[in-house]
Amino acid sequence: MSASPEADLTEDERAGLELVRQTGGIHQSEFWKELDVSSRKGSRIVESLAEKELIDREETVYEGHNTYLLSPTAMDLDFQLLMAGDMLSPFVADDELDEQSDAFSQFVMRLAYQ
Amino acid sequence: MAFEELLNDPVIQKYLHELVGPTGMPVAAAPPDGEVTDEELAEELGLELNDVRRALFILYENDLASYRRVRDEDSGWLTYLWTFEYDQIPEVLESEMYRLLDALESRRQYEADNEFYLCPEESIRFEFGEAMEFTFECPSCGADLESMSNDQLVRAMNERIEQLRDELNVESQDEAPA
Repeated sequence: MSASPEADLTEDERAGLELVRQTGGIHQSEFWKELDVSSRKGSRIVESLAEKELIDREETVYEGHNTYLLSPTAMDLDFQLLMAGDMLSPFVADDELDEQSDAFSQFVMRLAYQ
Repeated sequence: MAFEELLNDPVIQKYLHELVGPTGMPVAAAPPDGEVTDEELAEELGLELNDVRRALFILYENDLASYRRVRDEDSGWLTYLWTFEYDQIPEVLESEMYRLLDALESRRQYEADNEFYLCPEESIRFEFGEAMEFTFECPSCGADLESMSNDQLVRAMNERIEQLRDELNVESQDEAPA
């Protein structure tokens, strides 16, 4: 992974990416209207952002039409929400843990009293 | 070095550390571009070959590294060429966020459904039923158990649940218990 691919986006692409991130997910048929560009231009922006893996694009049906659902990639998520203080969610390294386990109690305590 | 952007995230570092431990961390934290052998890594990082192999194997088990075996034509020995596959870490952590959300929701229910007692000496917590069986005396030190509020715990869980739902775009189906 070299320099951030966001660095060389056009202004329209940047606005499009921002829109997807802000909405948390938007259909392509709404996307270009919101951006106030033509549908053709909208789909070029989407194409470019998806190719750079800055957004996810999933085929879907919306209001009776085939369209794409555009959503932010997992990398945009705030992983800090997996932390309580300096402790990582204990489920991460343990498949068998349940929510009554000591490790999770410790996590919850840390959340409340950190 | 590859995956620099990912490795700048402190939570991703923590995640790798959790998996491979402190000895394996130099291996996990500096994935080279392209393929590499365990010997090359050991030499480059100044680590024991066994520690490098252990770390690589843990990464492999977690789908974070893959290898390809090549036979050396002269010696007949097999060489393992390793590739780091960190692309899916964000997706893994995303599913961990869902898992944490589920766990917090069930735990909140449990906290709301029970009353708790605390041994002030040893900070051990008992459910009401347990405390009653011990006639409200700590079975370990004999101190009187005290009723304990878990309001702050529930508040902290509520807050994190809301943050996770918001971040993951999960609709809130039920109202938080008071």
